Amino acid sequence: TADVEDEVQPTAKSAEDRKAAAALSKLDDTRADDEGAAREVDQEAVKNAVSALGGGAGTKKETKAVKVDAADVKLLVDELELPKAKATELLKAHDGDAVKAMKAYLQPAF
Amino acid sequence: MDIRLLRASDIPLIQHANLENLPENYFLKYYLYHALSWPQLSFVAVDVSRPPKTPYDYPKIVGYVLAKMEEEPADGVQHGHITSLSVMRTHRRLGIAEKLMRQSQLAMVETFGAHYVSLHVRVSNKAAIHLYRDTLGFKTERIESKYYADGEDAYSMKLDLGFLREQIREQQEEEEGKEEGKADDES
Amino acid sequence: MPQTLSTREANLFRTVIRHYEDKQYKRGLKAAEQILKKNPKHGDTMSMKALILNAQGKTEEAFALAKEALTIDMKSYICWHVYGILYRANKNFDEAIKAYKFALKLEPDSHQIQRDLAVLQIQMRDYPGYIQSRLLMLKSRPQLRQNWTALAIAYHLDGNLQQAENILTTYEKSVTTAPLRTDLENSEALLYKNSIIAEMGDFERALEHLETDCKNCLDRLAVMELRARYLTQLGRKEEAAKAYRALLDRNAEHPDYYKGLVDALGTAPDDEVARKAVYDEYAAKNPRCDAAKRLPLDFLSGERFRTAAKAYLTLMFDKGVPSTFANLKHLYSDPFKKDTLPDLAEEYLRERSGTTHTDGQTNGDSSKGEGAALYFLAQHYNYHMSRDLSRATEFVEKAIELDPQNVDFHMTKARIFKHQGEIAKAAEAMDYARSLDTKDRYINSKAAKYQLRNNENEKALATLGLFTRAETVGGPLADLTDMQCIWFLTEDGEAWQRRGNIGLALKRYHTVFNIFDVWQEDQFDFHSFSLRKGQIRAYIELIRWEDRLREHPFYFRAALDAVNLYLSMHDKPQNGTNGADGSHSNGDDTVERKKAAKKAKKEAQKAEREAAEKAAKQDPNKKSADGEEAKKKDDDPNGLKLAATTDPLGDAMKFLWHLLQFSPKNIEGQIAGFEVFIRRGKYLLALRCLKAALAINKDHPKILEQAVRLRKALDGAIGSLAQKVKEVIESELAAVPGA
Repeated sequence: TADVEDEVQPTAKSAEDRKAAAALSKLDDTRADDEGAAREVDQEAVKNAVSALGGGAGTKKETKAVKVDAADVKLLVDELELPKAKATELLKAHDGDAVKAMKAYLQPAF
Repeated sequence: MDIRLLRASDIPLIQHANLENLPENYFLKYYLYHALSWPQLSFVAVDVSRPPKTPYDYPKIVGYVLAKMEEEPADGVQHGHITSLSVMRTHRRLGIAEKLMRQSQLAMVETFGAHYVSLHVRVSNKAAIHLYRDTLGFKTERIESKYYADGEDAYSMKLDLGFLREQIREQQEEEEGKEEGKADDES
Repeated sequence: MPQTLSTREANLFRTVIRHYEDKQYKRGLKAAEQILKKNPKHGDTMSMKALILNAQGKTEEAFALAKEALTIDMKSYICWHVYGILYRANKNFDEAIKAYKFALKLEPDSHQIQRDLAVLQIQMRDYPGYIQSRLLMLKSRPQLRQNWTALAIAYHLDGNLQQAENILTTYEKSVTTAPLRTDLENSEALLYKNSIIAEMGDFERALEHLETDCKNCLDRLAVMELRARYLTQLGRKEEAAKAYRALLDRNAEHPDYYKGLVDALGTAPDDEVARKAVYDEYAAKNPRCDAAKRLPLDFLSGERFRTAAKAYLTLMFDKGVPSTFANLKHLYSDPFKKDTLPDLAEEYLRERSGTTHTDGQTNGDSSKGEGAALYFLAQHYNYHMSRDLSRATEFVEKAIELDPQNVDFHMTKARIFKHQGEIAKAAEAMDYARSLDTKDRYINSKAAKYQLRNNENEKALATLGLFTRAETVGGPLADLTDMQCIWFLTEDGEAWQRRGNIGLALKRYHTVFNIFDVWQEDQFDFHSFSLRKGQIRAYIELIRWEDRLREHPFYFRAALDAVNLYLSMHDKPQNGTNGADGSHSNGDDTVERKKAAKKAKKEAQKAEREAAEKAAKQDPNKKSADGEEAKKKDDDPNGLKLAATTDPLGDAMKFLWHLLQFSPKNIEGQIAGFEVFIRRGKYLLALRCLKAALAINKDHPKILEQAVRLRKALDGAIGSLAQKVKEVIESELAAVPGA
């Protein structure tokens, strides 16, 4: 039906623009993702390799179990305008000492 | 002036050069599309004589060639295509455009096995036509009527890259010959 | 309770999905309606319908429907997935991730949901999350190389280079058939691995890997450049020299290669003769090469410099190269060179004027050289390090006399006017230069820029409109905005600001801000696209650049403009434009400004209207771009709502955070930051800016003044400060001179 057909192509201004528009509209076509060239792989080797990868933890920064005072978090959020999570992180990095944490934050980071 | 491969971080100033110089403009994403699909093919000419004013200054782009491979060639032959080429008016007569084109053409053959390179040019753009036809050896294939948004026609031009393929093949043979020679010496 | 579909409708449902994926929204909607007619409470169909509505720009309707679908069918992974997609489309990434995770819990085997989640995680730079997702994706499809590469990328970006390399190696080892030499994905994967080895600093192994595994890689330039670099790092000078020679044979215009070669040859830094000889060889080999002739001017001194510079200038003048001055002005930090270059240009002129004008044949050619030398001298005297504007005028007039139609000469004349402070004359002269070559957009852009500097926004837009696309609805302004023309938006905003039109000024700065949002969003598709294309090194480069996108001076300038404008709005509330009562604001100044703003607004509206009408007239056959692709209508085209803010300092924060985060070493940003924070009573943050400014340049004139003001403000506020804050300030402020 006519009303359906007219949506197929947005009004293309020139051959040049049509090319650009067509290329960009295909960028997010993820259906091709799974059609990548699958090559002969040694299934056994792959299986072993994959299981050796384990849980795949990212490089976690060891965080010490530091107690943080909620009032200090609020202070940092208010005074430094940090998101709560960032403020907590900053406090923890300075043993929960708000004065130390704020001082550290004031130093030029370059 | 420095001629080198395009980097992603050059793109805002490439887009700027394009907007200043040419009527055919593109979104930043279209430049990214080139830089991430065929990063070997696009080159820039950089003005290296400007002392940076802040630590965050980017090199000023005075010329660029934005190139690609045709994704679905109608004739089934692998070939490159020049999407956009421009040199600032202040930096003309140094042969920058030609040098950019030659770098791109070489990479088209080496990396993607291109057989030829194609492009479009405004029929009124005498300087560009001179570069493509007389300096670089392009041939006019046909006229594309009203190719540009303002209604101007384009010449569709093409350069056979056989000469580069030949040159690369010779170099390879020479190198392989050398290596065999080396092996002979050792035996 | 979720409804189940009949076979016929289940098929129909699949076509809804297909139409959506093909962007056939009307067809998709039609099919969805058909299903809903019989099954009005079918959650999945409702969700798909919501998705299509969203794609058509009906965001609110879409969200409402998707929510309704969820309440009907909480256990449907499709409903959750769609909910996530809607959030993602509307840039609420955190909520989107939550929804995807929910969907994945309900349907752990869905590739599509897993992929959507992964893409969001990398977009948000949640590396641990991305590693998890890519690991699951690899486990489900280990036969695909891109799944291995993706996991390596995840580890690489998370900083675990060793694991990244291991993953790539594991895949290589498990392949049973050797890849073809023309296999681009393989070639790139090898070079990607090589870049990881180099990033670990192990150049020995990187070189070995390059020379064995990457020997036949298709990116020849990369292989050659990396080899030269590694050899240099390893001190294998002879081979490095050879490698750089091979690179120079490819491209003799890349200064780094000369530098690499000279270093590798072990030429003593003060041995000018030996160093020059290296360049001379390439100048002789490539008669048309510029770098080999120009670069020695950087290190040559005394008579040697003079001789080389003379040869270079003569060649450039004879050819009439317009960029000669631009390519040499960096030498001016050396006083001898600064004096020698104009001497040589004068010498050239004297020599020419003696020999020519005798026969007509050489006259044409030599006038080109003469013009180029005069042009060089005009630029010399116009340059800030050697400025003498009356001499500059003298030379440019002589050049123009020689070649009255020369665009470059007239362009320089305009620049000289600008430096004389004659902004209006400068704009006029630049427009005259434009008229000499109306087919050249470069000179058109310059003319428009000078008109903007002269506060002629309307005229500038009309000038630019000669090159923008006529059929764009909304005229030149819309086209320039669409095409992300930042220089224009910024200059236009600054001109409006000078004219007192706060609304339009803010509007332009916000538009620039939004363009950067778009540029950040632009990387989204490439997270999976690049894996398909296999160009991994380019992708890594993109990610790292996007991470610091807003350090760009394009952003900095517009954002600083915006912050400063908001500051002035706070200090001097406008009546009228921000809706405040004017009775208590101070007198004539405000009234004048109000008038000016009103006039400016009218003019802008008129210009836009005219442009739109013109556009419509020129292209009567083109459909207007409404329908599916129609952009959302701008409900504040003149920035009146922006200007009406009651919290200018709060609005400034949107721009300021990025300035401080991405360009901390730019002192202008720190100074503006101080001004905002002290007004907001955020003394710690003000102090932070002050300390940063101090670290950048302790002699900046603003610093002392700000220190004194901060001290004074604190003296007044000390009673209301928390004890801990007081403690921090006392100890930190003590180290600031003047406070």
